Amino acid sequence: MNLEQIVATVRAGGRIDAGQALRLYHEAPTALLGRLADGIRARKHPDRVVTYIIDRNVNYTNVCVARCAFCAFYRPVGSAEGYVLGFDELYRKIDETIAVGGVQLLLQGGHNPDLPLTWYEDLFRNIKARYPSFKLHALSPPEVIHLSRLSNLPVPAVLSRLIAAGMDSVPGGGAEILVDRVRKLLHCHGKASADEWLDVMRHAHRAGLRTTATMMYGTVETDEERIEHMLRLRELQDDTAGFTAFIAWSYQPDHTELAGNEATGVDYLRTLALSRIVLDNFDNVQASWVTQGGKVGQLSLAYGANDMGSVMIEENVVRAAGASYCMDEVEIVRNIEDAGFTAERRNMHYERLGGPIFRERAVPRMRELATARADGDTSVPDELKHYPARSRQGKALRVVQ
Amino acid sequence: MMATDIDLPGLAASHDIITLGMRADDARRHLHGASTTFVRVADVAAGPGGAIQVPPSAGEVRIVGVPASRAAAVARVGEVKAAAGGYPLSGFSLSDLEALSAREQVTLRALLEELCAAGLELVAEAPFDQLGDPRRAIEEVNIAGLALARLTIGTLPEGDVVDGLKQIVALQRDVAVLRSFAPLPRRVSPVLPSTGYDDVKRVALARLVVDNIPSIQVDWALYGPKLAQVALTMGADDLDGVSAEDDAGEGRRRAPLEEIRRNIRAAGLEPIERNGRYELTGR
Ligand code: SF4
Repeated sequence: MNLEQIVATVRAGGRIDAGQALRLYHEAPTALLGRLADGIRARKHPDRVVTYIIDRNVNYTNVCVARCAFCAFYRPVGSAEGYVLGFDELYRKIDETIAVGGVQLLLQGGHNPDLPLTWYEDLFRNIKARYPSFKLHALSPPEVIHLSRLSNLPVPAVLSRLIAAGMDSVPGGGAEILVDRVRKLLHCHGKASADEWLDVMRHAHRAGLRTTATMMYGTVETDEERIEHMLRLRELQDDTAGFTAFIAWSYQPDHTELAGNEATGVDYLRTLALSRIVLDNFDNVQASWVTQGGKVGQLSLAYGANDMGSVMIEENVVRAAGASYCMDEVEIVRNIEDAGFTAERRNMHYERLGGPIFRERAVPRMRELATARADGDTSVPDELKHYPARSRQGKALRVVQ
Repeated sequence: MMATDIDLPGLAASHDIITLGMRADDARRHLHGASTTFVRVADVAAGPGGAIQVPPSAGEVRIVGVPASRAAAVARVGEVKAAAGGYPLSGFSLSDLEALSAREQVTLRALLEELCAAGLELVAEAPFDQLGDPRRAIEEVNIAGLALARLTIGTLPEGDVVDGLKQIVALQRDVAVLRSFAPLPRRVSPVLPSTGYDDVKRVALARLVVDNIPSIQVDWALYGPKLAQVALTMGADDLDGVSAEDDAGEGRRRAPLEEIRRNIRAAGLEPIERNGRYELTGR
C-alpha cells in the first residue's frame, strides 16, 4: 500500500500492519499523523471529554537488584541512599492523597530482595482495612516476576495472593520496549523478557484485573521495534481486552548508565499519534506531561491522547533522570479546557467520577511534586524486622534492629 | 495560500491547532523552505566591570539587563566591544533605553548614537508593547546607525490576537527594517503560564498575519527545546537564545550545537547557523 492508501485505511477505521505502520511513521508529515490520530480519538470519545485521575505515584523502595541501564532511580542493596517506606509513612501519603481528592496509589518500586511477598500482603491488607474504598494500582509485571522468583511460586499464584490481599489493578511499567534484543541491550531482559511481561498481564487479565500498558522509547530501539512493541500489545488486547490505556514516554537520560539524548518533542507527538493509530483496540491513550512538560503534554490532546494521566502528587523515578514538571489539578484542568475539551475525573477503570474536585471544595494548591522521602531521611521502618531478609546487608540490618 | 484567503478570526477562535499549524507551515515553507536558522548567543551582564566571556562559537555577544545610567551603558559597551572584537555586539532593550534617555534628559537618538560610537552594533530587542512610540523609537535606532536584532512582545497582550498582530504588520509597513519578530511574550506569568495551545497558536497566527517580516522567531532558552521545536513545525523559522557555551565545556553531555541541530532535523527541517547580523555562518 502506498501512503495514500494507508491513510484511507486508517480514515475508514481499518487496521494497519507493521509495514504500513512503518511507512506511515516514516512518510506522513507530523500534522497528518496528528489528524489521523485525532480522528480516531474523536470517534472513540465523541463527547470531547478528557479525563485525568488524582492519585499518588509512590515508590515504596528504591533498592533494586535489576540495575537497568536506563534507570537513575535505583540504589544497589546496601547503599546508604537505599530506602524502604514504612507502613506509617505510606498511610500518611494516603491521607494526603485523599485530602486532595485522590482515589488510589500507584505503587511501584525496586526489586528489593529483603521485602518478601508477605510484606506486600500485609501492607495491602492493612491499607484496605484502613481505607476500604481506596484503590491499589500496584506492582508492575517485573515486580510480580521478582516476587515469583523470590517466593518460588508461579506468577498466577503470586497474583492471586496479592489480589486476595487487596491489589486492584496492575500498572504497565517495566515494558520499556517489548523486544528481547532491546531488552538485552538495556540490561532489563533479566527482570522480564518480552514474553514474561506479556504473560504477567495475560494472567492478570484472566484473574479479572485491568491493567495499563506502557512504552519507554528513545533508547536503542529501531522504529521497527517501536512498532513491534505496539503490535504485541495489540495482539494481547485482542485476546483479553484487559488493557485500559496505553502510555508512552520518552527515555530520560540524565544520571543513567546508558546516558545519551532524550527523544525530541516532535518525536513524542509522532510516536503518540502512531500509537493511537496502531492500537485500534485501546480506548484510552494518555499524555505524558511528566516527561514532556505541560505544554507538549497539552498538545498531545491534538495528537490522539484523550487522558491527561495523573495529577501525581509525588514522583521519584522520572525526576531522578532529570525531568521535573509539576501540574496540580487546577493546572491540568486549565490545560484541558484551554484545548477545548471538558475535564472529568476518573478512576483506573476510566469510570468518570465527576468534574474537578477544586470546584467542589477548597483544595490546597500544589506547586511542587512531593518525593518519597525527605533528603537525608535514612530511617528504617520498624516493621521490617518482622520480615526475613535475603541479602547479607539486609540480614545485618535486621540484627541491628 | 495568501493569509488574506484564510479565515483568520475563525482559525484564531478554533481549537483545531493542526489546521492552523498546517496553514502556518505552508506560509513558512513558502518563505524559507525547510531552512531553519539559529544563533548562538553569549550573554554578558549590563553592569560595568562584570565578567565577559566570549566563547569562540558565539554568533552574537549580547549585553543583557537594564543599564543603571547612560554613562554606565556607554562604559559597558566599550568594555564588551574591547573583549568581543569582531563578534556582532548587541545589547539592551529599546524600551529600557527609551526610559533611560527620558530619565537623563537626552534624546533617544543621542543616547543611541553614543552607544553606537562606543561599539554597539545592534539593539537586542524592541518590545512592541513597552515602547511609547514604537515607530519613532525604531526609526531612531536606524538613524543612529544601529540595527535592531528583533521585535519582541514584553507581556502577553490582552484583546484580539489577530488585531494585535495587525499592528505589527502596520509597524513594519512604516519602518521596513524589522528582520524578525518573536511573538511569544518575554515575560510569562508564573501563576498563570501560557499553555502549549496558546503558544503554538500565537506563533502560527503570527506567521500568517505578519507576512511582511521575514522571520518568526522563538527563544530556545526561554521556551525550552520541546515547545520551540514544535513551534518550528507551526510557522517559526528562527531560533534565538541558543547557548554559546563551548561544545567541549566541562561535563556537558549534550553540546548546544548538537542538540539544536538534532531537534531541527527531528522536526523535518534543515538547520543553518547564523550570526547576530543574520549572516549565515554554517550548516
Ligand atoms: S527500572 Fe525498575 S527494575 Fe530497573 S533498575 Fe530501576 S527500579 Fe530496578
